[in-house]
Amino acid sequence: MAISAVARETVFALRRQIAKIEGTLPERLQAPAGAPLDTDGSADAAPSDLTIVRRGLAAALPDAFLPVGVERLDAALGGGLPKAALSEIHGLETREAGAVAGFALSLTSLILKQAHGLPVLWIGTTEIFREAGFPYARGLQASFGIAPEQLLFSEAPKLVDALWVAEEAARMTALAAVILEIRGNPQRLDLTATRRLHARAASAGRPVFLLRQAAEPEPTAAPVRLIVSSAPAVPRVTVAGPLAGSIGRPAFTIAIGKSRTALPGQFTLEWNPDERAFDERRGQRTENSVPVVSLPRGRKDPAAASGAVLAFPAPRSSDVGSSATGGQPPPGQRAAHFGPRRAG
Amino acid sequence: MVSHRQGNAQRISALDERAEALHLKRDMGIADARAMHPCIDIVEADPEADRRLLEGLADWCDRYTPLVALDGVDGLFLDVTGCTHLFGGERAMLDDILSRFFHQGFDVRAGLAPTPGAAWAAARFCGDRIVGSGEEEALLAPLPLAALRIAPETRASLESVGLRTAGAVMAAPRAPLARRFGASLLLRLDQALGHLDEAISPRLPVAPLSVERHLVEPVTLTEDIERLVGLLATTLKTDLERRGEGARSLALLLFRVDGAVSRIALGTSRPMRDPRLIQKLFHERLAALEQDIDAGYGFDLVRLSVLAAAAFDMAQADLTGEVADDGADIALFADRIRARLGEGAVLRPVAFESHLPERAVANIPFTEAPRRITPPRKPGKVQAPKTIFPPERPIRLFRAPEPIEVPATEMPEGPPRNFRWRRALYRVTRAEGPERIAAEWWREAPGDPSASSRDYFRIEDADGRRYWLYRQGLYGGSQVAPRWFMHGVFA
Repeated sequence: MAISAVARETVFALRRQIAKIEGTLPERLQAPAGAPLDTDGSADAAPSDLTIVRRGLAAALPDAFLPVGVERLDAALGGGLPKAALSEIHGLETREAGAVAGFALSLTSLILKQAHGLPVLWIGTTEIFREAGFPYARGLQASFGIAPEQLLFSEAPKLVDALWVAEEAARMTALAAVILEIRGNPQRLDLTATRRLHARAASAGRPVFLLRQAAEPEPTAAPVRLIVSSAPAVPRVTVAGPLAGSIGRPAFTIAIGKSRTALPGQFTLEWNPDERAFDERRGQRTENSVPVVSLPRGRKDPAAASGAVLAFPAPRSSDVGSSATGGQPPPGQRAAHFGPRRAG
Repeated sequence: MVSHRQGNAQRISALDERAEALHLKRDMGIADARAMHPCIDIVEADPEADRRLLEGLADWCDRYTPLVALDGVDGLFLDVTGCTHLFGGERAMLDDILSRFFHQGFDVRAGLAPTPGAAWAAARFCGDRIVGSGEEEALLAPLPLAALRIAPETRASLESVGLRTAGAVMAAPRAPLARRFGASLLLRLDQALGHLDEAISPRLPVAPLSVERHLVEPVTLTEDIERLVGLLATTLKTDLERRGEGARSLALLLFRVDGAVSRIALGTSRPMRDPRLIQKLFHERLAALEQDIDAGYGFDLVRLSVLAAAAFDMAQADLTGEVADDGADIALFADRIRARLGEGAVLRPVAFESHLPERAVANIPFTEAPRRITPPRKPGKVQAPKTIFPPERPIRLFRAPEPIEVPATEMPEGPPRNFRWRRALYRVTRAEGPERIAAEWWREAPGDPSASSRDYFRIEDADGRRYWLYRQGLYGGSQVAPRWFMHGVFA
């Protein structure tokens, strides 16, 4: 399976190269749904899912989808996020900007795993950078492994300029991904504008993430819309067990607002900065979190409300300073904790 | 009539022909002039505006030669050496200049001579005269002493000893003249006669390469200008190729029919010579400047100059037309954005060695400049110990930390229990910290409140959002109460 996939990829790359020299468009059959080559999960696609996709030169990649790495989410999205497309990532309030940006960056980090060394362009209006803060390269490197040399920022005073920069950037193959951040529901960012962005992203074969802070869902040309809010983090895991009162890995609550499969879903994902991969949190609360009916638009994300009910009691501030006494491990674990120390 | 203030009196600084016909003169007091003719119209002089006008004219004169210098407040020097043949000879050029100025509504005196001094004298005292090489003496001899560009005091003392024309000064023995009237008189004389070289100082640096096109029919449309830029850039390319260089900085000069000159400059991040790309860059720039450029009656001269050039490395493209170097695409993209939105439109983060979060990263405008600022490590030098677990840093940082209201903390040095930020109340469920970051005392003044250390806390609120707060100052220690700030947001 793996060998054939690699061989197929080589053949496609060669075919693309030949088509480029000859100046003709390759036309080929693609099986996008449920049959991603990289994931070994649900490999067999239903025959009805086969579609003939005619794409531009650079877009004829054998793997058109970016698997998020969480099986349920990938299945709900039909194989993952489309790579050569516009994807909308919504936050319901401006204060969710950290979570929305964090989720987009973790997706970018997944892309950068495959496209080494290519830069990422982050475009925003002056308004959103003032309201939600400017991207901080040190934090991006620590949390998402994106080196400062790989980052480019573009700050546009007006929305028109930001859209222009994004359209110019979306058709560049020299960028790994383009992040466009817009606040609110401006008139100008309508179906036409998203269609233009999507068309350019599709022809260049590069993803464009449209971060919409404090925005209502609107008609969009993007095939996928995810609504992201922050979720309470679990405590840090130490050798002595979870450290009470500490704040562990970043966690997000993702609700699917629009996708090709049109399956509703809500997931709590945790980003692992060390492995640069997502884990799904399957706690007691999140087990049956998929709602029977899709979420009503305009109402607050129910996950955020449920997030307030914490399994871990709010710490007294004395616990923070002296966490060793607070996080006293049971005796059984203690021996295991001392074991490697002696060995070290 | 224009007046200006000299000393304590209003005096006439300039006047028109009708005022001259009334026997008014320059430097006459306004009170006297009014006494003679009570109904004269007097305008206050505006030297700034005069200067701007003269500079505008100097810009326009760029069409004849790149070497244009200002001469005092009312004159221009044009070094036309080697340029006259482009306009059909000296006489044709002078006529062209005079007629164009006349049609713009200026009354201009011009003189053309081998030396600046002689040209100056010819323009001011003979009017529209071309002086050939070796004729300077014949030109100057009958002229008054003012034609020698000497100080009024020197002129007055020369006149007091009976030397009233330049010819008389030339005939006089040199040594006593130098002894009595100083070296500047003879210097001016020698410069005017061509015994000494005199350099004029041009206003603008001369571009290493320039291509221009005179148009019979003025153009007004932006598309036409862009097409012209493409044509000029094609011509420029051969010159650049011969020199093995590419343009780093380009300027487009548009000479309007009525004398206004628009100058559009742009820089590139790497040397460039492809006409298509140059045209693209100017397309963006012109689109951005659409409101600022007034085509009026059209432009009749378009010039493209290379202001700065650098060595150009050729790269071989493969069969598909792709060059392996991806940086070129990014550089061109950044250039286009900068051409339209300004220098700071594309930023690149650069890490700096600093503990203060806002100083640890600098976002600088994108250039192809060296990618790493930190110097290479010296092998013998002791390195600072590396932390295995780097401190957590937010993914977004506010430009200016935003003050928050903290009603109470459980412990004096502990994190807040709740806080108010942007008029909303947040309840803190968990907190990590403090991480104390001391101020950089070598930068800030000692009494400065920002010089106190900060205690940073990582906070998670009831909805699971994570923030980075800090407390400036310590409780109880000093007279100033500590203040709380929101500095960043975590994922």
